[in-house]
Amino acid sequence: MTEKTRRERPAFNKIISATIERHYKDIQINRPLGYALMAPNPLVEIACAAGIQPAFPENYAAVSAVKHLSKKYCETAEAHQYAPDICSYCRNNLGYVYDSKENPPLGGLGRPDLLLLTSSACTHYFKWWDALHEIYKIPLIYINTPRVMEPQAMPDYYLAYAIREIEAAITQIEDIGGVKITPEQLSQAVTLSGEVVDYWQKLLELQKAAPCPVNLTDISNALFVLIALVGKQEGVDVIKAVYDETKQRVADGTGVFTKEEEKHRLMWINIPFWFNLGLFGYFEKRGCVFPLSDYTQYIWGTTKMDGARPLESLARKALGGELNSSLDDQIGKMIKDIKEYRIDGIIAHSNRSCRVLSVGIPDVVEVIRKELNLPSLVLDGDHTDERVYSDANIMNRIEAFLEMLG
Amino acid sequence: MSNILEHMARVIRDPSMVLSKERKERGCKMIGIFHPVVPEELIYAAGLRPVRLFPYIDDSITEGDAHLQTYLCSHVRAVWDQVMKGKYPYLDGAIIPRSCEAVTFLYQTWKRHNPYPFIDYINVPWKRSENAVDFFAKELGRIKNDLEEFAGNGISVDSLRNAIRVYNRNRGLLRKVYALRKAQAPVISGVEAFKAVMSSFVLDREEHSGLLEQLLTELSVRSPGPGAKVRLLVTGGCVIDARLWEMIEDSGASVVADDVNNGSRSVFTAVNETTEGPLTDLARRYAMVPCSFNTANTDRFTYISELIMGSNIQGVIFAINRNCEAEKFDYPNLDQKIREKFNLPTLHIETDYLTDMAPLRTRVEAFIEMLNAGGG
Repeated sequence: MTEKTRRERPAFNKIISATIERHYKDIQINRPLGYALMAPNPLVEIACAAGIQPAFPENYAAVSAVKHLSKKYCETAEAHQYAPDICSYCRNNLGYVYDSKENPPLGGLGRPDLLLLTSSACTHYFKWWDALHEIYKIPLIYINTPRVMEPQAMPDYYLAYAIREIEAAITQIEDIGGVKITPEQLSQAVTLSGEVVDYWQKLLELQKAAPCPVNLTDISNALFVLIALVGKQEGVDVIKAVYDETKQRVADGTGVFTKEEEKHRLMWINIPFWFNLGLFGYFEKRGCVFPLSDYTQYIWGTTKMDGARPLESLARKALGGELNSSLDDQIGKMIKDIKEYRIDGIIAHSNRSCRVLSVGIPDVVEVIRKELNLPSLVLDGDHTDERVYSDANIMNRIEAFLEMLG
Repeated sequence: MSNILEHMARVIRDPSMVLSKERKERGCKMIGIFHPVVPEELIYAAGLRPVRLFPYIDDSITEGDAHLQTYLCSHVRAVWDQVMKGKYPYLDGAIIPRSCEAVTFLYQTWKRHNPYPFIDYINVPWKRSENAVDFFAKELGRIKNDLEEFAGNGISVDSLRNAIRVYNRNRGLLRKVYALRKAQAPVISGVEAFKAVMSSFVLDREEHSGLLEQLLTELSVRSPGPGAKVRLLVTGGCVIDARLWEMIEDSGASVVADDVNNGSRSVFTAVNETTEGPLTDLARRYAMVPCSFNTANTDRFTYISELIMGSNIQGVIFAINRNCEAEKFDYPNLDQKIREKFNLPTLHIETDYLTDMAPLRTRVEAFIEMLNAGGG
C-alpha cells in the first residue's frame, strides 16, 4: 500500500481559526450574552439585530472534545446526576457549568444573561435549555416549531405558527433588553444571513468537482460561519473568502489529492468523532476524500433567507433542515447527492448521543445498498464522549472496509 | 380480590386476546396510539377503536434492532419488535406523537415499513401558550380529516362531543378510584389502581366505565387496608410492568400516587365540554398533559408537588427507563427540589423492558426499611 499525501490545506482554515478565536474573545467581553442552540436557530439573526452576543454550548462541547476535556466534563455532569444515556453535548456543557473553570479552553463560554432556544432539533435540547434555565434563573426565549415530516406538503398553519412564535420572541427580547429591533435592523440581519447561505450552497456545489477541492474537515470548520455569524457582515466576508479560494482550487484543478491519487470519494453520515479528527487524516493517507456529509449538507444553510420577508424567512429557517425533517426526506436527498457527488462508499457514525441523526441509519444504509449498490460501514460511537470509543475496534473495521473497497 | 379487579387483571395480562376477540366479534377497526398526548376522542368519534400501544412483557427483542438501535428506549424498541412479529393482529393502524426521538423514529420506521393500512403523526406542542393551543387545534383538525378519510365516516361536532363525554366520564371515574388512595388507610392498593387504569387502555371506554362504577360501589363498602404502610409516590415515564408495582407494594409500601404516562398523566383532568369548539377544547386539555418531553421542569414540579401534598407522601421513587432521555434529564432538578421543599427521601431505580426485578427489589426494600425506621 502506498500512502497518499494530501496537498496543502486550504488557507481559509487559518481565517476560520482566527474567526473562532475572535468569537470566543467577543464572548468574554460583549454583553448581554445569550446561550443559543446551534441547530438552525432564527434567534441568532434576531440576537444580532438586538445587539445580543450569542454563544454556542454545542460548539464548546465539540471544542472541549478536541481538547480531550470531555471525560472530565461528562464525569462532572454525571456526578450531578445527569445520566450517561443523556447526549454527551449536554453532559459536556453541564459539566462545564459545574466545573471550577480554571483555564477553560478558548477562555470559556461566559456566564449567560439569557437563553435562546428553538425546538427544531430534539427533545434533549428542550430539556437541556430548561436545565440551564433552572441553574441560571435567567430568561428563556423559546421558539416552538412542529416537526415537518413532509416538507413538500407542509401545512400553511405550520408556517403561521412559527411566524407567531418568532414575533413573540422578538417582543420578549425587546422587553427583556429594553431595546427596539427596527424592521430595518431585522431585514439587514436576514439579508446578510441570506448572503452567507447563498455562498454556502455554492461552496457545497464545488465539492462535486474531481478532484474534490477540500475535505470534510475543512468544510466542517467553515460551518462555524453558518452557525455563529449569520446576520453579520463578518460572516459574509469570511464565507466569501472560503468560497473564492475553493472556486479557485477547482479552476486550477487543485484538490485534496490530484485527480489520479483520489482513490475513493466517501460520504460521512452524522457528526464526526470530535476527539479524533485525526481519523480523517488516516483516510487521506489511503486516498479517500469526503466530498459529502449529511452533517454539513442538510442541517444548516438549507433555507433561502430574504431580507424583504424577514419573519417568513426566519420561520422557514426554524422549520427547515435535516434535524426537523423526516427520514424519507433525508434518504431522498442522499440518494440524489450520492450520485451527483460521485460517491463510492458510505461511512455512517451510529452516534448514541445524537439520536436524531442516528436512528434512521439502518434504513439509510439498506436503501443505499439496494438502490445504488454501494458498500457501507456503520461505526458505533459518540460525538464527544471518548470513553465509549474503541479505537482498536473502529480502526480494524475501517481497515477491513478499505480493503474491501480496493 | 373483587371480581371486577380480577377481570381487569385478566385484561391486562392478555390484552391481545381481548382485543382480537373484540375485533372479530364487532369488526371495528382499531387504531393504536402512543403516549397520553394523543386525543383518543378523535378516533372514537370516527367510529374507530382507540387502543393504547404497550409492548407485551413476554419476549426478548430480537427483530426490532434491525431498525431501532439498542441505545434507544427499550419500551419503544419492544413495541416495534412486536409489530414486526405480528403481535398486534387486531390493529389497523397507529397515530404516533412527536415526543422523544425514539417515538418520532418509531413513526418514521412504521411509515417506511408500513405494517398496517393507516399511520399518522401528530405534532404535540412543547409549550402551553395560546399560540400553541391554536396550532394544536389545527393539527387535530388535520388528524380528524385523515381519520375521516380512512374510516369513510365524517366526524360531526356531535359525535366529537359525545366522544369527549365518554372519555371524560371514564377519566372522572378513574380519578375517583385514584382519590380513594389518598385516605390514610386506603381501600384500594396501588397495584389495584394500576390494574384499573391499565385496563382502561385496553377495553372500550364505555364498557370500562361500567366496570369502574361497579368497582367504586364495591369499594364503598370494602374494609380499609392496613394504614401503617409507608406512602410512596412513583414517578417516571412509561412504567408499565405490573411486576414493578407489585414488588414495591410487596416490599411493605403503599403506592398512593403516581406521576407516570400510564397513570395519573392519562387521567389528570377533563376536557372542557362547553366552550370553544371540540378541537380547541381537546387541544387545550391535551397540550397540558404533564409528560416529561413537553413539560418544563418547573411545571413538572408543580404537578408532583400537588401529588405529594394531596396524598401525604413519605417517599418518592423515580422509576426511569434506561435511555429515556427526557425523564433522565428532569431527574436531578426534580430530585433536588423534592428533597429541599418537602424534605422527603427519594430513590432512583433504572428500569428496562424485561427488567430483572431481583436487584431492584433489594434497593426498594432497603429504601422502605429506611423509611419505616424514620430515616431519610
